[in-house]
Amino acid sequence: MSQYLPILVLAILAILFGAVSFVASRLLAPNRPSAAKSAPYECGIVPTKDTPQRFPVSFYIVAMLFIMFDIEIIFLYPYAVNSGELGIYGFFAIGLFSVVFFLTFVYEVARGGLDWGPLGQARDLTSLAEMVSPERTATTTVRRVGSEGRFPVSVGVEEK
Amino acid sequence: MTTSITGAMLLAADGINIAMNVGFGIIAAIMVFAALSVVTTRNVVHGALWLVVVLGGVAAQYLLAGAEFVAISQVLVYIGAVMVLFLFGIMLTRAKIGADTDLNNSSWGLGIPVALLMLGVLVWAVIDAFGDTVITDRGPTPTVEISDAFLGPYLLPFLAISFVLLAAAVGAIVIARKD
Amino acid sequence: MAVSELAGLFQGDLPMGSPMVTGDPLLDGPLLWAPLIVVAIKVLVIFVLGLVGTMFMVWFERKVVAGMQNRVGPNKAGPFGILQTLADGIKLFFKEDLLPDRADRFVFRLAPFLAFVPAFLVWSVIPLGGDYSGGRDGIVTILGQQTRVQLADPPIGILLVLAMSSIAVYGIMLAGWSSGSKYPLLGSVRASAQMISYEAALGLSLAAVLVTSGTLSTSGIVASQTTLGSWNLVTTGFIPFIVFLIAATAELNRPPFDLVEAEQELVGGFNTEYSSLRFALFFLAEFMNTITMSAIVVTLFLGGPRPPAIGNTALTIPLIPGALEGTIWFVLKLLVFLYFYVWLRATLPRLRYDQLMNLGWKVLIPISLGWFLLLAAIRVGDSNGWNVIAVVVIALVSLGLGYLLFTAALRVSSRQRDREGAMY
Repeated sequence: MSQYLPILVLAILAILFGAVSFVASRLLAPNRPSAAKSAPYECGIVPTKDTPQRFPVSFYIVAMLFIMFDIEIIFLYPYAVNSGELGIYGFFAIGLFSVVFFLTFVYEVARGGLDWGPLGQARDLTSLAEMVSPERTATTTVRRVGSEGRFPVSVGVEEK
Repeated sequence: MTTSITGAMLLAADGINIAMNVGFGIIAAIMVFAALSVVTTRNVVHGALWLVVVLGGVAAQYLLAGAEFVAISQVLVYIGAVMVLFLFGIMLTRAKIGADTDLNNSSWGLGIPVALLMLGVLVWAVIDAFGDTVITDRGPTPTVEISDAFLGPYLLPFLAISFVLLAAAVGAIVIARKD
Repeated sequence: MAVSELAGLFQGDLPMGSPMVTGDPLLDGPLLWAPLIVVAIKVLVIFVLGLVGTMFMVWFERKVVAGMQNRVGPNKAGPFGILQTLADGIKLFFKEDLLPDRADRFVFRLAPFLAFVPAFLVWSVIPLGGDYSGGRDGIVTILGQQTRVQLADPPIGILLVLAMSSIAVYGIMLAGWSSGSKYPLLGSVRASAQMISYEAALGLSLAAVLVTSGTLSTSGIVASQTTLGSWNLVTTGFIPFIVFLIAATAELNRPPFDLVEAEQELVGGFNTEYSSLRFALFFLAEFMNTITMSAIVVTLFLGGPRPPAIGNTALTIPLIPGALEGTIWFVLKLLVFLYFYVWLRATLPRLRYDQLMNLGWKVLIPISLGWFLLLAAIRVGDSNGWNVIAVVVIALVSLGLGYLLFTAALRVSSRQRDREGAMY
């Protein structure tokens, strides 16, 4: 297992580098805490709501699917490395495994386990018919605000 | 030719790797501490992180025993996937920062005898299976042996896994169903 | 250490035609003082190289993006502004280290390390150079010790990279959670879901490489790509390369997949609450990952430090000792990908989250799984003397069936979704 010795040494060195940098920064940097600095950062606005405690369940499904894929991958690697010697038998065994796995994935997709984003909402366009009618022009829809009594013009009449 | 101090220290005459045994002891001690911390910590996320330490310790033990591929699988599947699922699960429901008051339920005392019983069974199983066999350092196990094993004598369990995964997928959909 | 000294240290004088060994020959024997000193030298060199390389990458990115946007970019600190990153790094040392009130203090301090240390460890399995001239297998001699120009060469080297990237997920996830603030939490949950999704695609396209190279050791993968025609880029049929490159970009959270730090939505993403050196560690890890991931692509698909060769004639650089040549080729190939990543940043707009997830799960993953099975079928057919055309036709028909099934599933889910949407 001596092949792992240098990796261990590098890991220790990296951790030491981080730790020493922290000590150096602690010595060099100013420390003037204030309430504003230690409040959650929200672009200068005082936070009014707490951090959300719950998340959409889709994230959970993604993690679940990832476990499945990880297991699949873990079995594919030893086969892939040795695929030449395992021959026809090995190929069909791993093929069967992958097919069952793929069907599982298809089921997951078909049940909408991987759908993201807001639902496409159907809008009732008949109630909006007036809004989209071709009679609408700039002068019929734009209303001059704040000019009442100041100009001798009526609403909707183009001004010179 | 002079044998250096390091060489003599790491490998005793009968092929038993002393460094390996010392490493085992250290990692095992860390694992036991982490395992106790999992159940005693006052924060769910901290508990999950201690569990990561335990699982990482298992991977390190595999590595010491020469089972590299199993060690990496342990990291990839347990630390990289299962614990991420745990953390997502915790974040889906509650992941407050700070101490939680209601983590213990009323019958937590029952857990102690169950845990001791499990420990007894495992110790008995290990002693029964291996007795006083001395494990010598025989170097890393080639990955090829693993594929030979699961596509050979263990083919049926291997194919059964694909159906277990199917069950898991159905379970995930049922949990996530909106109704 | 000066280049001339380095050249003196690396003297490839291995007997010709030595068999391909997996593992670093340096660590095979008993651990005497000489190998330990070589290990110490290698660790230090890799460490310094990692930091300097990252500094270079930050400068390179800023300079190239500036060029693409018709700006000057950093040009004050040092020649061509090359010391700008160093100046920025030193500045961060002098900045106040803030720890938010609502933060989980222990995890908040731990998270930067979980991002930074794995980023460093990936360096250890990358073949950075070596002597490939005259049939030598990338083995050089340092202080009388035969070794590879890579820190360690465990038999499962390439899996170590995957393991490190799955640990790096924790750094980002915990950084966001422990900040006790909204935007970091949103950014980190997004990021961890994104990273695990694309890790699956990454792993599956890697499986295709393993079929052709037949080993998990990084030096072994390089050794299997002797000529231009046997580069895995060609032997795996380009698709795994493309999938790997896209998945790697997403795994790095780089544009166009940088939803993690979408400024318009999430301020700075998972590291919003981090300042001073803790932020510097995240920043360092991010750019170091860019370099190491490019290096992994080079190792897996472009023959690593091997000079391009056609048949038995390798392209050699004159006047350079063979032991340094590998490093030069490696750096040249690496720069292509580093430039590519910067180019992407300057060109492509950011994806939306559902587009990101759809690309990963519904495009890349099925393609790479199907391609893996196709490659395995061709390989099995090849070794059993089956008719190649028949194998390919049968395989393509089966994959076509799979495709039809999958599109049917997509249709079912989108119809279901439309129905749900209509209920509102």
